[in-house]
Amino acid sequence: MSSKMVEFTVNGKKLLAFEGLNLLKYLLDNGYNIPHYCYHDSLGADGNCRMCMVEIKGKKRPQIACDTLIKEGLEVNTNTPTIKRLREEILQMQLRNHPVDCPVCDKAGECYLQNYYMDYGLYKEGKHKKQKIKKSKNIEFGRNVVYDEERCILCKRCVRFFANITKTNELGVIKRANHSTISTAPNQKLQSQYAMNIVDLCPVGALLSSDFKFKQRVWFLQSSPSICHGCTKNCNITIDYSSTKFQAERIYRYKARRNEDVNGYFICDEGRLSYKEYHTNRVTQIEYKNSIIDFKEAISKIGIEIFIHKDIVILASPNLYIEELESIIKWSKKLNARLYSPLECYKDKEFADNWLKEELRVANAYGVMALEIDTSTPDISSDTLLINFDHKLAQDINTLHRIDFITHSINSQGLILPLASWVQSSRHLINSSGIKQYAPKTLVANKPILTVTEWIEAIGGDI
Amino acid sequence: MSFEFTKEELEYIEELSQRYPSPKALMLPLLWIIQNRLKHIPTEAFKAVADITKTSEAQVYGVVTFYTMFTLKPTAKYHIQLCKTLSCNLCGSKELLNLLKERFNLLPNQQNGDFQLTLVECLGSCGTAPVVQINNRLYENLTPAKLQKILEDFS
Repeated sequence: MSSKMVEFTVNGKKLLAFEGLNLLKYLLDNGYNIPHYCYHDSLGADGNCRMCMVEIKGKKRPQIACDTLIKEGLEVNTNTPTIKRLREEILQMQLRNHPVDCPVCDKAGECYLQNYYMDYGLYKEGKHKKQKIKKSKNIEFGRNVVYDEERCILCKRCVRFFANITKTNELGVIKRANHSTISTAPNQKLQSQYAMNIVDLCPVGALLSSDFKFKQRVWFLQSSPSICHGCTKNCNITIDYSSTKFQAERIYRYKARRNEDVNGYFICDEGRLSYKEYHTNRVTQIEYKNSIIDFKEAISKIGIEIFIHKDIVILASPNLYIEELESIIKWSKKLNARLYSPLECYKDKEFADNWLKEELRVANAYGVMALEIDTSTPDISSDTLLINFDHKLAQDINTLHRIDFITHSINSQGLILPLASWVQSSRHLINSSGIKQYAPKTLVANKPILTVTEWIEAIGGDI
Repeated sequence: MSFEFTKEELEYIEELSQRYPSPKALMLPLLWIIQNRLKHIPTEAFKAVADITKTSEAQVYGVVTFYTMFTLKPTAKYHIQLCKTLSCNLCGSKELLNLLKERFNLLPNQQNGDFQLTLVECLGSCGTAPVVQINNRLYENLTPAKLQKILEDFS
């Protein structure tokens, strides 16, 4: 791609773009609805699906847009009758051996094949009444990936993911012609820690996640952009959750969200499956010595504890947002307390790799460092009051005088106060490259649950 | 069961590798070596091939299953490869197929005693269609009667 701007036309409209830019990429980025399967921004063009045909003036036949580079004076037509007929014919070929089992397919609702059929297919019944070639279904690829040979349209996005992105070449196309399928090597399973990305990449229902399979229809899901809290990389994700009437909101899956500066297009499998943590073991009630107490009682108990103790240690979780940490800093100054946020206990050397996984398995560790909070381990004597804001280290500290603001239950005999999880609050995070990102609030609990700032305000600290 | 190339084979491979710009190009010659020695390509051999060609086992698997001349199971004594492409089809390969079905009880991709039938793509001898390749020998200008005689001579 050169830095020279050239003028070209699409459907009669004059446009400007860099010379040598991929035509399909330009059209997709600028809101043109061009059907395509094999082209993906991260994988580039392969030219095997033939779906992105456009008419180019001066060329005898329609051309694939993903293999056309923009140049001066190019005249492109994307919506002529020829192109429409062509798309219908290509669809017929793809549906020739497709089982059309959309009612039981998990991808229905977000399937390219289904969408394009509604846009360009809709041909009369009976066009593909011939006997279809039967193939295997529900093949376990390993790493939570399940493959359905019949639904596959052989766009090879998954094969190219392992060839170009992870460079492990774990998948290949086997057999020939109508019998072609995708397969791992015989008696082998996928090994890659990023394997579930191919489920996101698959444009049809051929590759499914066994974790999400048959759990929820996608049209019942709502999506919200967010940030993964698995490690300091802060990969961008989409949280898919359902908010059915009279039921608590439930997260069904995380999907990778494109952000060139942070994670590109992908996330690791461990981060993808970490949505389960939100639902397990959550604290919902205020407890004191294992019995439930009400809000007013709790506030007065906190007041008394703070009043009678001279030495107060506050532990703040490095998973909290910047603004939350700031209000804890203010409050600790008011209380004259010592504030710590130890990072050592979050380190996991085995988790780290040289791509998206980082050693510090906590989201805002670099925010903690930026705010200059003490990251050493505090010494706690018998009459120190420990105020814990969801820090992992607190469960290993054995002290009688403690107040725990926690999201997930731990073994504690002190005052336990439920805290909103990161999904239930919004603010900023800083990742390992120093990029500050905003994570919006996604879920609202049925019973109101307070965030750190709201708790401090309720107790009477300044925020 | 594991597979290893013999010393002579490795020397031959070394000699071959000088001919090609990249090790990937050795894929087919290597598979031929294995197919000729064992009459099939065992899945255990994929790793040896992948190591030399700097590819992966899945890619080798793809190549082996793509070409009809490579088989994953040992072939019968007489491997009949009947061309199913256009020229042979027009010149009567269907009749040859019928003969094999009725007279020798042979169906595509099946074995019957010493015989095994595979329908293959063009064998590159359209001028003398229809053709059949039995093991490494090509039989040209066939009629059902000729083919019957050839097969009866074998058994």
